[in-house]
Amino acid sequence: MVESEVVFRVKRYRPESGLNYIKDHVDPTLTFRWSCRMGICGSCGADVNGQPRLTCGTYIRDVHKGAVTVEPLSNFPILKDLVVDFDDFLNKLASVTPYIVRKDWGDLTKEYVQYPEDVEAYRQQSLCINCMLCYAACPVFGSSPEFVGPAASALALRYNRDTRDQGADARLARLNTKTGIWECTFVGECSVVCPKDVDPAAAIQTLKFLATMRHMRRLLMPGASSR
Amino acid sequence: MTGREYPWKRRPGWWLRNRRYLGFQLREAGGVVCALYGLVLLNMLIQLREGESAYTAFLDLLRTPPVLYLNLVLFALVVWHALTWFMLIGKAQPIQFTRQPLPWKVVFGVNVLLWLGVSGAVVYLIFGGI
Repeated sequence: MVESEVVFRVKRYRPESGLNYIKDHVDPTLTFRWSCRMGICGSCGADVNGQPRLTCGTYIRDVHKGAVTVEPLSNFPILKDLVVDFDDFLNKLASVTPYIVRKDWGDLTKEYVQYPEDVEAYRQQSLCINCMLCYAACPVFGSSPEFVGPAASALALRYNRDTRDQGADARLARLNTKTGIWECTFVGECSVVCPKDVDPAAAIQTLKFLATMRHMRRLLMPGASSR
Repeated sequence: MTGREYPWKRRPGWWLRNRRYLGFQLREAGGVVCALYGLVLLNMLIQLREGESAYTAFLDLLRTPPVLYLNLVLFALVVWHALTWFMLIGKAQPIQFTRQPLPWKVVFGVNVLLWLGVSGAVVYLIFGGI
């Protein structure tokens, strides 16, 4: 039997998670949230070199210019290390009823048919993963913590655009307040940092338009019903 | 929120953290400048009502180098304010003549052209001898 030598040249790439490496090998007390490692759970947001990012989707090679500074997300109280308190955001999210609201569910065995264009109307906002990078980037939220904020507004628009939903009027009433969409001065940074291209800044401006139309409709046609 | 949380505090100079924050702050400053310049124009009308000598003295003040330099800075801020808002129009409310909304750059370009056209018409009306 003739033996032969086969040479394999395998290009290897081992993307090490910087924070996990530190926790496993340097300092096990380092505390941070993480879960999916693929940019979908929205748990691992942090300010990396001053910019809100999902740390699982941040390559060290892209931010490695000297020391890499990782800080907890701006604008939130800190629980420990990189873990911040999201309770305030969750309350704001709940205030816009981020789910389909029906006055009457009717026959639940019946389908609520949606066509592709119906889905396309809210698809962009539905991509929000509640990572809260937009809140960390928003200087308005930083100075006025009562502001309902970008993600909650974008999700309100997502359900207002859903043909199955009947809660648009109540959502617009919530958002058309002093702590609602009118706090937004259109800095636009929320849309820049959004890892899912939800474009919450544009969503808020659309909501301003819809809230104004609702207000005028109620002013001019008090008896008219709205969705 | 528990009592053991470490409160977050915004650092001074946060708006220097990136150029977009700086651009936003300059846009807001431009808005204040617009309002202040409105007061200058209002004062011009008051001086006009006061009589020729008061009006001439006010115009002479406007022609002094410090005021001219100040006007240059104010003008730059007002132009920045206008341009940045034009940039935002197409993003704020996508304009849809076609199946897809128009790109914001197209909306921006149309607005700038309209702005230049109206400004040119105003300059012509004032200096063109009509």
